[in-house]
Amino acid sequence: MMRKWTIYVMAALIGAAVTSCNSNDDAGVAEIEIPGVTIDGDIDCCSAEEALQVYRFLQTVHIVPELSTVVDGKYNVFAYSRTGTFHTGYNELYFVATKKLTGNYVKQFDVEGLSPLMEMAAMNMKHSAPAAASAVSLDDQHLAVKRAWVSFLMDGEWTFGYNARVLGATGGVEQAALSVGSQGDGQQWLKSFKTGGQTYYLSLVTPTDWQTGTNTIRAYVSQKGSVATEAYPLAAQQFTIDIDPRMPDMGNHTSPDNQPLTRQTDGSYEGTINLTMTGLWRIYLTVRDLAGNVVAGGDETLFWDVIL
Amino acid sequence: MLATVLLTSILTADTVADRAQNLDEVVIVSAAGRGKKRSAKGQVASIDEHLQQLSGVNLIRRGSYAWEPTVNNMQTERLSTTIDGMKIFYACTDKMDPVTSYVESGNLQSISLSSGLDGNPQATGNIGGSLDLRLRKAGFDNGQLTIENGQSPLHLNATAGHEWNGHVQVYGADAAHSSHRLYVNGGVFYRHADNYTVGGGRELPFSQFRKVNVFGNVGARLAEHDIVEATVIFDRATDVGYPALNMDVARAEGFITSASYKHLFDEASLLQTWETKLYYNHIVHEMDDTHRPDVEIHMDMPGRSQTAGLYSLLTAAGSRHSCQLNYDLYYNRLLADMTMYPGGAAPMYMVTWPDVGTLCTGLALADDITLTDCQHLRLSAKLAWQAQRLNSDEGYHALRVFFPTMNDSYRQTTARLAANYRLAVGRWELGVGAGWGSRAPTVTEAYGYYLNNTFDRYDYMGNPSLSNESAVELNAALQFSASQSLRFKVQGNAFFFHNYIIGQFETRLSPMTVGAEGVKVYGNLPHATITNLSFTADWQPLKWFSWQAGAAYATGRDADGDPLPLIAPLAWHNTLNLRLQPFTLHLTIKGNARQRDYGAKYGESETAGWTVCNVSAEWAATDKLTVRAGVENIFDKHYSSYADWNGIPQKGRNIYLNFTFEW
Repeated sequence: MMRKWTIYVMAALIGAAVTSCNSNDDAGVAEIEIPGVTIDGDIDCCSAEEALQVYRFLQTVHIVPELSTVVDGKYNVFAYSRTGTFHTGYNELYFVATKKLTGNYVKQFDVEGLSPLMEMAAMNMKHSAPAAASAVSLDDQHLAVKRAWVSFLMDGEWTFGYNARVLGATGGVEQAALSVGSQGDGQQWLKSFKTGGQTYYLSLVTPTDWQTGTNTIRAYVSQKGSVATEAYPLAAQQFTIDIDPRMPDMGNHTSPDNQPLTRQTDGSYEGTINLTMTGLWRIYLTVRDLAGNVVAGGDETLFWDVIL
Repeated sequence: MLATVLLTSILTADTVADRAQNLDEVVIVSAAGRGKKRSAKGQVASIDEHLQQLSGVNLIRRGSYAWEPTVNNMQTERLSTTIDGMKIFYACTDKMDPVTSYVESGNLQSISLSSGLDGNPQATGNIGGSLDLRLRKAGFDNGQLTIENGQSPLHLNATAGHEWNGHVQVYGADAAHSSHRLYVNGGVFYRHADNYTVGGGRELPFSQFRKVNVFGNVGARLAEHDIVEATVIFDRATDVGYPALNMDVARAEGFITSASYKHLFDEASLLQTWETKLYYNHIVHEMDDTHRPDVEIHMDMPGRSQTAGLYSLLTAAGSRHSCQLNYDLYYNRLLADMTMYPGGAAPMYMVTWPDVGTLCTGLALADDITLTDCQHLRLSAKLAWQAQRLNSDEGYHALRVFFPTMNDSYRQTTARLAANYRLAVGRWELGVGAGWGSRAPTVTEAYGYYLNNTFDRYDYMGNPSLSNESAVELNAALQFSASQSLRFKVQGNAFFFHNYIIGQFETRLSPMTVGAEGVKVYGNLPHATITNLSFTADWQPLKWFSWQAGAAYATGRDADGDPLPLIAPLAWHNTLNLRLQPFTLHLTIKGNARQRDYGAKYGESETAGWTVCNVSAEWAATDKLTVRAGVENIFDKHYSSYADWNGIPQKGRNIYLNFTFEW
């Protein structure tokens, strides 16, 4: 049963996003409505302001019903992606856990053991895909939203599972069927290379946020483990990835001052990419080890394709 | 009688008189008076053909339409062009639409050119010179408008012309009503041209155009000394071919409007007139490559320019002084972008002019001083300040890739100062002048983004960190009248630039345009020089026979002493005039020498010398009808001049005939 609660808080506490819309005759008091959420001072759950931030974020993403579940009869764990669907290459997943009783968002919960799996029946083979080891809070404003990612190697029918622990109760999703589409416009966000007998995967983090001009480029480098059916973890070895963005439709036009991707403390790789216009950008990659030796790419065979 | 008369006003007494005149006292003349020039084609001539008559003016041709005027061998960025004092800015990143293309002959009474830094009061950034296109307003009590016997205040005028080469058709009609309290005039103009044929008989594809122009002026006298006036011009060119470029123009549209208030002071008063004008104009320009056969990537490249402004001009005259004080303010907004459609792939979009808003304000002062009967001094000065803001975030962020420390707003202060002294002693007349002036970089030079220049095949990037360009100008003119009928004149000027702005090679950047040679970024050269020298002789031994001859030479050098591009080679002309009423006949032979000092460094190649002959005739058939006919390029010479973009050939033999009726 859905209950609607109305809460009144000082607009100044909520932030400019609210006041900017209600600056006319509310005399500083704004009316906040979060459908399905009751704020009752539960310390495990979000305050009104935190809940509002989470709620607003969830309006920008789409729920994935097949990956949502109930834990211990008391908590809902909802999974979201940007579009509610999945495609080859890097996909971001977002999780929230709510108390069934109040609908409010639980602040601390864990999602781990992400396990994408594809069964290639014809070849009697199974393999997993690069994925985050666990979900982490989106950012300081959204502590109750946990972000994880998975890079699907190909389109087709996959299964996907994870373990969830909410306030001591455990549960999760046991290999739910998941349909993964292709990137219809020909973009390629996931590439692999082999060096030292190991297979590595380069997952480009959602480049759809990029704009003409200077952008931060982020990626993950994953390493295929000895057990192909377990999610590929982040590579133990550290690399530097030089980028050379080109426009194949414009005579391989390029841009200046691009900065290579280097590993950050959270294990991701970050660099700077300059894009002079919209359109198809082919980002040629040169992967170097810590000594600077080229271990992959550098010969126009290794690239991501991105449409801006 | 209404007709377009072109005045060249460089260091002449005309300038002084003209500048002090009240508008309602301007005499609209149809016959070519002394010192006044006009096109042999009369009113049917295009603005470009009228501009050709001005000394020191050359025209860069990218097709048969919208030629870009240069003055003293300097292009648009170093010139000021105003329409009756109104600022207007072109909207095409490839300079396919100099602002002179948004008016028609029927709109104008005259085009006035001020050479060098001594510009008209509204001009800013005019190092090379300033052009003011003066609108043809009927004016009050216009005696010229009445028919001799009847006192009809109504005047009608119609023109029709045809040119065989390119099947050019010109039709114009206008009407004017003038009384002591009110005047109204307005008209329409239509021009159409197919592809023209070059010398030797080959048709030049994509040299067609079509243009429609409508205009109206109204003036009312609120009180004896108080006048309000308004102007509207709508100009639309469609299907304009640019054979020198790889794309054409689907539509180039200009809307120009103004309203002004003018107070005339008493005759006895020191103050003469005070005019305040508010104006607004906008231009929409749309390029089109859909008719070209070999388009690698189809592109849409629209450009928009909007300008609103005002000026307030106070004139005063004493026994020895004639002063002008002008305040002006304008806000201009320029936006251009480009979308490329590679077959089947994702469209590519970029902002090429990042919606730049320019607020500019200036104060100008000029004084013409009669020192003695034979000595005159003219002083002029202007101080201008401008603020610019990049309103397109996308364009701003794109530019920041190249200039990470740039801002989204800039301010510049520019100024100019000029002094000209004139001395007449016996048969000699001497003029000397000096000036200093600066200009702010244009939007293209400061913020242009991958603008492909088909002249040198480089992509040009603007540079927001450019310094203002400045120049010192020195000029002199000497005229000797050997007799009443024989006159010689030598004049010259030299511009010594500091921080001369020009595109400089940037090998670290990759071109965007397919097939481009590379990228150039606008930069300041420490110094550069442009020098112009001309000689004219005028001989009229008989009342019905006169002969004019002239030659002009110019040179431009960059900081390394290498030639600058688009500097005219030695040019010369000879004209024989026969006046046997009611017939007038002109025979002209003109040419250019081989262009030896071409700017090879700037992608210019050598142009061969050429000579062409033209003949034209005018027949005043009745009071009301004038017939003009002529043959241009009589011997069908195949040639192109240094100013023909990418060497596109000029028109071959062209026969024209036109009629002007006046009631």
